[in-house]
Amino acid sequence: MSFAQRRRFLWICFLAGLVLLALTAAFANGTTLARLRFEDLAQQSTAVGRLRCLGSEFRWERGELWTETRFEVLERNKGLLPGLVTVRTIGGTSGHLHSHVDGVPVFRAGEEVYLFLWERPGEPYRVLGWAQGTFRIARNVDTGIETVTQDSALAPIFDPRTRTFRHGGIRNLPAGIFQLKLRRALEEKK
Amino acid sequence: MRKQSATTTRRILSTMLAAIYAAWAAQAAAGYAFNQVVPDVRQPVSVSGGSACPVRAHQLSAALNISIRWSTTLGTNPVSILTQNQNAARLTEIEQVISQSLAVWTGVSGTTLLPATVAPIARVSTQSACGSDGLNSICFDQADMAFTPGVLAFTRVITSDALGEQIGNSPAAAQLGQILDADIYFDPTDAQVAFATRAALPASPKAYDLESVLTHELGHFLGFSHSAVWSAMMYPYAPAPGTFTGTRPTAQQPDAPLADDDRTGLRILYPDPADAVDIGAIAGRILPANPLSLPPSPPGVTGIFGAHVVAVDQSSGAVIAATIAGWSCAAPGPAQFDGTYELNHLPISRSYTVYAEPLDGVVSPAQITPAIGTLCRNPISDPGWPPLQGCVVPPANVSFTTRSR
Repeated sequence: MSFAQRRRFLWICFLAGLVLLALTAAFANGTTLARLRFEDLAQQSTAVGRLRCLGSEFRWERGELWTETRFEVLERNKGLLPGLVTVRTIGGTSGHLHSHVDGVPVFRAGEEVYLFLWERPGEPYRVLGWAQGTFRIARNVDTGIETVTQDSALAPIFDPRTRTFRHGGIRNLPAGIFQLKLRRALEEKK
Repeated sequence: MRKQSATTTRRILSTMLAAIYAAWAAQAAAGYAFNQVVPDVRQPVSVSGGSACPVRAHQLSAALNISIRWSTTLGTNPVSILTQNQNAARLTEIEQVISQSLAVWTGVSGTTLLPATVAPIARVSTQSACGSDGLNSICFDQADMAFTPGVLAFTRVITSDALGEQIGNSPAAAQLGQILDADIYFDPTDAQVAFATRAALPASPKAYDLESVLTHELGHFLGFSHSAVWSAMMYPYAPAPGTFTGTRPTAQQPDAPLADDDRTGLRILYPDPADAVDIGAIAGRILPANPLSLPPSPPGVTGIFGAHVVAVDQSSGAVIAATIAGWSCAAPGPAQFDGTYELNHLPISRSYTVYAEPLDGVVSPAQITPAIGTLCRNPISDPGWPPLQGCVVPPANVSFTTRSR
């Protein structure tokens, strides 16, 4: 096979791959977590920040078991976040009882995250859209480069306006680019 | 020079092609999962069973053992439940959806979850019927604080890690992992979100199918976590507004909306000892070619952990079962992260292709973490925990490729 033939063959394979990918995306099945685009998250959140998890504790309130996770605020991107913030999620452990809700983000002490927070007046902060509003930060031990991944990333997402499925979310995005994207989304709101 | 350029171009094209096919193949990710709890081995053996192996959350499946009530209080501003009928007939229409959604799960063959397992559905008029009271409830108009924009419905399940525990009016736990209270909440506060019964759905294309969402939530009620099989009822996302999951159930096939993955999962949760059909099993280990590629921390990891292992019917190409693999456990525990996978309760007299893939496809590890994050307890998470029965769950390994089937 000559060089030109090989190149043509590879181009055909490449284009066929693109067509396959497009077809698969077009028929991808189901997500209707009432999709929140990144811009929606920025707009509907009451506060956004980079936080470090300090630890969690559980408490009963209104007949439910809740997890209250304390975070140290490292960076404020939106809202008037205090130096320490408490985020409430449903579920937790009390004695021998384990209360569990699938899809609720769980945080480990020491990990850093960007959180899109949401609150009603007089109520504690919650994570907007649960997995959708949770962006975990990973640091490459060799290079020191930080990347950001959304908990709900890679799942196909249904857009009710266009009635199509698409892959959305943020996965392994360098933290610097994420910050730019966040800044732009927050400015768009204004 | 030209040859070097051609080589570079070829490499770039090959890499891009490989990336495209990898992305395409990742769509087929799969795997049912269960809500699990590790018994509290700090307690006497008579209470804890003595083993630190995780047990699956489950309902007691004896006759009339599963009782469910639903709150007939329905939101008016906004109207979140759309029906074809009004007044008393409206309640009947909603109750039919509840019965139908339950019948989907009790219609699966080869399980002890039978129609007779479920007590007649009861009604309650109080708005705040859902809560940790030991009574299984469905609430359509209870504005729980957990809701935020983007969350349509959820099921909160309470289990016990010791025998004899109870909550509210629940019976005392007779089995480890027994579900003591499970409540299903639908968001009544978001004006953009509505749920329609089967009869009302055609006229309400912007509403979510109540039957599909409820059937999914009842899966959690029965002990399921999310599955990554995109056709499965337990896939994390509900069908698009105006549409429904799978096909509607019929008298001939009451479990029609479910995927085989859901059915296999249910057979594992509620196995019928008399089942002579779904008794096939495939087991093995996923090991790296180079053991040094395994993570050094936490210690004791000897195989790939967190892979999806999928059994595909060779004749139909359907995913029959899938699981998140990489661990095993034998009494007295703890879990060993040795790459083990087990696919049980497979229909016999069929041929299967088994393959493994990392959790970097449709469903990310973060979404599965609750299912695999509850495999271990240790002296740090639980003071006083016996060190020999403690373990630490390693991160899911997403950087492997498989060479054999």
